[in-house]
Amino acid sequence: MTNDAVLAARDLVIEPGARAGGFLLRIRDLALQRGEVLAILGPNGAGKTTLLRALAGLVAPREGAIEVCAPRGVALVFQHPLLLAGSVLWNAEVPLWGRGIARRERRARATKALARFGIDALAEREATTLSGGEARRLALARAFVVAPDLLLLDEPFDDLDAPGREVLVQDLGSAIRETGIAVALVTHDLRQALLLADRIAVLSAGALAQVGARDEVLRRPASAEVAALVGMSNWLPGRVRARDTAGLAVVEVAPGGAFRSATPYASGADVWVGIRPEHVKIDADRSDPNTVGEASVETRVSDGALVVAWIAWHGLRLRTHLLAGRGLGHTLKAGDGVFIAVRPEDVHVLPREAARP
Amino acid sequence: MSEAAGEPLIAIALRTLAVSGAALTLAVAIGVPLGLALGHRRFPGRGLLVATVNAGMGLPPVVVGLLVALALWRSGPLGSLGWMYTPQAMVIAQVAIALPLVVGITLAAVGALPGDFHLQVRALGVRGPRAAWLLVRETRRGLLAAVIAALGGILSEVGAVTMVGGNLEGETRVLTSGILMYTQMGRFESALALAAVLLGLTFVLAAALTAVQQGSRR
Repeated sequence: MTNDAVLAARDLVIEPGARAGGFLLRIRDLALQRGEVLAILGPNGAGKTTLLRALAGLVAPREGAIEVCAPRGVALVFQHPLLLAGSVLWNAEVPLWGRGIARRERRARATKALARFGIDALAEREATTLSGGEARRLALARAFVVAPDLLLLDEPFDDLDAPGREVLVQDLGSAIRETGIAVALVTHDLRQALLLADRIAVLSAGALAQVGARDEVLRRPASAEVAALVGMSNWLPGRVRARDTAGLAVVEVAPGGAFRSATPYASGADVWVGIRPEHVKIDADRSDPNTVGEASVETRVSDGALVVAWIAWHGLRLRTHLLAGRGLGHTLKAGDGVFIAVRPEDVHVLPREAARP
Repeated sequence: MSEAAGEPLIAIALRTLAVSGAALTLAVAIGVPLGLALGHRRFPGRGLLVATVNAGMGLPPVVVGLLVALALWRSGPLGSLGWMYTPQAMVIAQVAIALPLVVGITLAAVGALPGDFHLQVRALGVRGPRAAWLLVRETRRGLLAAVIAALGGILSEVGAVTMVGGNLEGETRVLTSGILMYTQMGRFESALALAAVLLGLTFVLAAALTAVQQGSRR
């Protein structure tokens, strides 16, 4: 382990938990540095919770080693945190009580932890009467009360409404920055994973399909399955046709429809082409040098913040995202004729043997 | 059995308290740890044990009395103790009646905890005796219910204690066996006096336990 490593797991084989798919969990290599937030993303039943419990030392792996360098301890917040009968303050004190720390110090540290998550005013309340958001805050305060080196979170924002989630993410983000704690969180929801993550690990069918920096995983998913999980929703079969004068590959995805990409694959190679929806640019006046031609807006839906439009282009449907409320996001409607543009660096190309989602 | 004024009421009441108190203490001391262990450990034969406990909760006291009498009878396996028709025999019978109640209700209280309770407690860094204390603390309402149920079963029981105690004046007469005897003799005034004491005792104890239970919510 390097100096800054908090956790290093190698060649793990872990028995599945009750809710996992029944397969063994196999993790070749997973490491976590001080001050880093790793989001472990995967569908339900992929083994996320089992992995987290193994990292916390609650489940012994059948094979392999988990090295944890956390002198102040590891804290795990369960998906449904256990609130003990008694006051909010008592709940926050419990980890310190379990370590035999005197009442006076316990109270002071627990009060500080509650304040960090904005619930110190609720200290005397009966914990079981808290709302979902307050309970979640209490669980996080209770995790921070021992000032652990490693914090493990199981679906930490799942039961919160969107506004509550945003505020909690901000508070948790500052707590992480101020304490320099290492965090691993598991979630099935990409948007929740992206809220805090520096790195993303994609867990699928009991194995890590990809681990990398957040943008790397978003832009260059290692397989069709990862692409689907990280929201690369334009995923098209294609073939490398030629190189243009700039040395970029021309990848045909439909008769007459092609994207340019810096892929190294040779002409004639069968490939998958992946493009994130936010990288499909609607070019109203055909001024973009990366234009890929004419298209028309098929459908458009908006949640008020984001516009999702499906664009018909050479017999294909491409998904694109725009900000709602201004510019094209405001004026675009179904049936509009448009041009679309995609930059070569936004065209991700993988050999075809990777399975389609 | 004396036809005269009989034993003072206060002596009978105190003996009842002593015998039932001993039985309750034993049943709780054995039953609660057993129920807690049975509630959160998984081992082969656990199902059978739980079924036995559940069956035991409905055991007719008169059958318990018969079995204890058979065991303590001079020729029985425990006959050498010479406990037949002594307060000890009554305590044994009452423990046999109350124990399944205590174990069963404790078991149910542990079962009502979240499935990952022990894992979460461990994840909070609480181990050993402190973890056991948390378990008791989290199930305390259920445990109080177990104590109240056991107390009710013990105090109101008459068949078994009469069979193994013999209702001997000055030795093994308790409130319930006294009521039974006086009623059979037609001495309703004495029976009513004992019944009033029994009711009062039941009420006071139940009220005290309820107060503890209410207080524990805070």
